[in-house]
Amino acid sequence: MIKTIVNIISIVTIFVMANMAFAGQTVSTPTRIVSLAPSITEILFAMGLGDNIVGVTSFCDQPEAAKAKKKIGGMSNPSLEAVVLLKPDIVVMTTDGNPKEFELRLRTLNIRTYVFTARRIKELPKGIRELGVELGARGKANALAQEIEIALSKSGSRGKEHGDRGQGSGGSRVVKNPELFTPLEVGRVVPPRILTGQAPHSELNKTKVLFIVWPEPLIVAGRKTAMDDAITLLGYQNIASGAKSTYPKYSLEEVIRQAPDVICIGKGSGMDMRAVSQGILKRLKTVPAVKNGKICYLSDSLYRLGPRVIEGIEELAECLK
Amino acid sequence: MSHIKLIILILASLLIFSCALFLGPTIIFPFNLSETERTILFQIRLPRVIVAMLMGMALGAAGAVLQGILRNPLADPYILGISSGASLTAALGIIGGMSFLGSFTVPVLAFIGAVITGGIVGMLGWKRGGLWPERLLLAGVGLSFLFSALLMLMMSLSTDEGLRRAMLWLFGDLSLSEWSRIPYGLIFVVVGIVVSATRAKALNALILGDEFAHSLGFSPQRERSILFLSVGLLTAASVSLGGMIGFIGLLIPHIMRFFMGGDSRMLIPASAIGGGALLCIADLVSRSVLSPMELPAGVVTAIIGAPYFLYLLRRKDVLSV
Repeated sequence: MIKTIVNIISIVTIFVMANMAFAGQTVSTPTRIVSLAPSITEILFAMGLGDNIVGVTSFCDQPEAAKAKKKIGGMSNPSLEAVVLLKPDIVVMTTDGNPKEFELRLRTLNIRTYVFTARRIKELPKGIRELGVELGARGKANALAQEIEIALSKSGSRGKEHGDRGQGSGGSRVVKNPELFTPLEVGRVVPPRILTGQAPHSELNKTKVLFIVWPEPLIVAGRKTAMDDAITLLGYQNIASGAKSTYPKYSLEEVIRQAPDVICIGKGSGMDMRAVSQGILKRLKTVPAVKNGKICYLSDSLYRLGPRVIEGIEELAECLK
Repeated sequence: MSHIKLIILILASLLIFSCALFLGPTIIFPFNLSETERTILFQIRLPRVIVAMLMGMALGAAGAVLQGILRNPLADPYILGISSGASLTAALGIIGGMSFLGSFTVPVLAFIGAVITGGIVGMLGWKRGGLWPERLLLAGVGLSFLFSALLMLMMSLSTDEGLRRAMLWLFGDLSLSEWSRIPYGLIFVVVGIVVSATRAKALNALILGDEFAHSLGFSPQRERSILFLSVGLLTAASVSLGGMIGFIGLLIPHIMRFFMGGDSRMLIPASAIGGGALLCIADLVSRSVLSPMELPAGVVTAIIGAPYFLYLLRRKDVLSV
């Protein structure tokens, strides 16, 4: 008698525990997503989840459809109340621009939060894949990530060619994407190769590039930025990569000394960059880039770590040809 | 005796001027200049050091005069709210991305803001036919609160990049100095200092009290008004040349008082020269320490100056106008 009862209880317990374990897995895509960053909004739209987005920041202006979504505040100061009012299934935020405490506060309110941690171009595909797992949209995420990886490796091999064109082919590190095969997609995925850098001894003959984010005061893209990644990927040298911060206020003297061959000027929101850059270009007139007219005015595609970085890199490649 | 001290001070500041010019982030020897070095020296460093000198002189003299007019050892050119008004209009220009006058946009906006605020403070301080120190102070402080609040409002609503640019300007930015700005700066600063210096005797009398000044043959209200105008002009010129640089207007007059005594005829020129020299040193440090990054000049000024002032305070006793 007792034996029977114990048996029944253990079977029921095992059944319940197994159910709980499976219940923890997310299988369906959340229908109410709030995005706390313009780059995330773009990624979500590119993954085809645009209709599932119910809230965006006031700076989310790409693609056009994002402007019609309800606004929940800025990137560094989103409104908790506005987010809660939207009754989101999940809030997607980033480490690069959102306040860290916001995540804690969301969790205290039992709102599901996902933190997107990719900050560099080479981390982007992996970040997108992980986001895809979280949102139950693996297929779309993998497609997007693959698109980006293919574009990156194309640019990377062009860059490697360019870098090799003066010295012997040095070894370049190759990183294989770890999250390659999922049970549902065998046979569909092609192992991508991402070239992450050039060999150390190829520094000598590289064209020198300066990426100006703002001309007056002179703010440039230093290291650990998407622009630096893009420049290095294409096989060129960012003269500001020696600065100790990501977007330093840079010394004019130093630019003159370094004598960059090409100057890229990124687009500030709503500004006519040619007009505002006139002053600084006049002061830099002895620099090869200005003397030879190698100045490019680029869009802000590289400013957001999202699907448009591909365009950004293409633009950069066009400019540096 | 004090004339000798003044001459020593002038010689010392000339020495500092040349150090700031030639030491820079990298040492340039004035003989055998390469073309790059010539460009750097004459197009970048020389205007920058001259602007630093002009700004420092303006602030030092303005501080000395103001502490006399207001009979208050804590007065500095910014207490009259002139700097908040200038910061507000300048930030408006920076965050709003205005550039209708090219590189002159922000300086002109700052100047206009300073002049308008100075005018309002003057009008509020005017009663019964003259300017009264207490009214000036209170009006200045009140207006300062209002404009600072508006400035903070604007900054909280702006994008991160606009905010950063505004802050870089607010903390003092000498990197934009160029020859085209110097004539305007020179006129205003020279006029301001000459007017103050020629009225130094009247200032001495004012410090001793209105009745005393009257009995010595000065019209206290008239002298105060003229001196107030010169302070406004000097502060406006300084803020429009390179943003807000605190500390100099407040503490350089006190430091000079330790060395030269309280006679305004010596104190005003000495504060001017001392202010100019300190700002040259501070600028030298700010562009060399973390080269090629540049630190804001206002920050370095206070970091260098304040400990020295505190050290002097310990050693000496006098702290009155």
